[in-house]
Amino acid sequence: MACPDLSAPTQSSDDRSSIPEDARDVMSEGDISRALRRIGHEILERNKGSEGLVLLGIPSRGVPLARRLAACIEDVEGHAVPVGELDITLHRDDLRRNPVRAAHRSRIPDGGIDDRVVVLVDDVLYSGRTIRAALDALSELGRPRAVRLAVLVDRGHRELPIRADHVGKNLPTSRDERVHVRVAEVDGLEVVRISGGESR
Amino acid sequence: MTTQTPLTVPSRDGRPGRTREGAILVLEDGRTFRGASYGAVGETVGEAVFSTGMTGYQETLTDPSYHRQVIVMTAPHVGNTGVNTEDDESTRIWVAGYVVRDPAIRSSNWRATRDLEDELDEQGVVGICELDTRALTRHLRERGAMRVGIFSGQAAHRPEGELLDAVRTSPQMAGAALAAEVTTTEPYAVGAVGEKRFTVAAVDLGIKAMTPHLMAQRGIEVHVLPATATIDDVLAVGEDGPDGVFFSNGPGDPATAEREVELLREVLDRGVPFFGICFGNQLLGRALGFGTYKLKYGHRGINQPVMDRTTGKVEVTAHNHGFAVDAPLDGDSDTAYGRVRVSHVCLNDDVVEGLECLDRPAYSVQYHPEAAAGPHDAAYLFDRFVELMETRQTTHQRSSARVAPGLTSEASDKQGGSR
Repeated sequence: MACPDLSAPTQSSDDRSSIPEDARDVMSEGDISRALRRIGHEILERNKGSEGLVLLGIPSRGVPLARRLAACIEDVEGHAVPVGELDITLHRDDLRRNPVRAAHRSRIPDGGIDDRVVVLVDDVLYSGRTIRAALDALSELGRPRAVRLAVLVDRGHRELPIRADHVGKNLPTSRDERVHVRVAEVDGLEVVRISGGESR
Repeated sequence: MTTQTPLTVPSRDGRPGRTREGAILVLEDGRTFRGASYGAVGETVGEAVFSTGMTGYQETLTDPSYHRQVIVMTAPHVGNTGVNTEDDESTRIWVAGYVVRDPAIRSSNWRATRDLEDELDEQGVVGICELDTRALTRHLRERGAMRVGIFSGQAAHRPEGELLDAVRTSPQMAGAALAAEVTTTEPYAVGAVGEKRFTVAAVDLGIKAMTPHLMAQRGIEVHVLPATATIDDVLAVGEDGPDGVFFSNGPGDPATAEREVELLREVLDRGVPFFGICFGNQLLGRALGFGTYKLKYGHRGINQPVMDRTTGKVEVTAHNHGFAVDAPLDGDSDTAYGRVRVSHVCLNDDVVEGLECLDRPAYSVQYHPEAAAGPHDAAYLFDRFVELMETRQTTHQRSSARVAPGLTSEASDKQGGSR
């Protein structure tokens, strides 16, 4: 049973580069759909129902993933869960080092995040710096009862004391490798690939 | 569930002949799940329960304790070891319906003689597959075991309100006396393996094949009697009456088993060593004056932690019970048959899993030491039964008199002090 596809408006994609030729597939479309459905179940079981849940996607690919998780949860529970997006651009710690990026607007569902259980959704968890920025962004918006983290891929190499509550796939990587997540709503393609590292 | 299943889908292995029709599972509280037919096509109603075992589905299906129950498997992939001629726990499949997430495409096991689905089909067991069993299990966990119907083929096209009525008018599990429906009609004996040391009368309330087998391995000749057996039938076993009496597992509500409880009291009065499993444990509880109650969603599966409170050791055990004994966990209770202690307790929810009489040679467990399917952690309980009978025999020879009530203090001393 696949999650229903939601045709979301296309995000301004941050396709930093196209995927190199030597990249290998690590998750297929079916794998991604199954992982998201499982995470949906895990969120419900952890929260003992959908009461008080708010899903916030981190742009760009966390947003469609959050929407799909919300659809899975609605499919199982029968009623909708609020879903929004949390822009973290201005909270990044590498802001001064990198080229100027346009800040997006955070879209927080009606009802806000005060006293809710916020589940942050992102595609890849790596250093943990994005999530730290997201936590800072959240603290400007309100005081959630709890914040949890769901990611499609955890590739390790954390630089901060941050961990995910729900992981689609734990992917042991080397720092030289790159993980490419492509989702249909943003890229018109649904796959997780890995490239780089030592050639064998 | 919004997913619509096509009326007929070819099976994924492309083998000709197996097609799946639309199917719907309807719970008593109105929630529905759509999926595809599995096993026989038709309709069935029963009590929805979930089992957490990842293996041993053949033993589960043929366990008489599952009579009138629809089993939801929490393990997603079922049927990959097919069925064989060795693992049946009785002569037929007892479950009322079978719910699996993802049936195996083909079975592969050196002992397999055929596919599970062919067996279900042949025995007329209606099932459903390709539905979200994780969501269904969570629903049952939150709201408790409830009645359910599975409707496939033509039946799936009837209006949902009509299907819901069919479920709601089906009989409840509480108050159901089912032992008579699953018991053997004729008594039979299972011979001891090797030297015969003891004779046991086993009252079949839904006995599993593994139980007499494990007793036979310990030199016990087992006479299996129908659930309708009287005390005279029990005492007629063996040359000088049975050395021990056993009450098996079985389906239904123990509160309805008044006749069996009376029989058990007669056994306790005579001081004959008694061992009970599952339903037998609930009946011992009732015979001692405790109550029994229905658990919210029961214990089913082969991975349930139980502590033996005598030794403090934790066993991983096989469970299948929807009812439990209501006895105080702390200290010994005084009953008409002397002091009684709760000997085993489930570590998940503190449910009573075993009773031990301190002044009578009688004990029982709620779980399944015969472990079919399941881990063998608890097989020592059969050895304990042998010890009780040995003790009584020694006492017997020394006093060279028939054991009457009150002559068993030595037996209970040994029982209490030997561990």
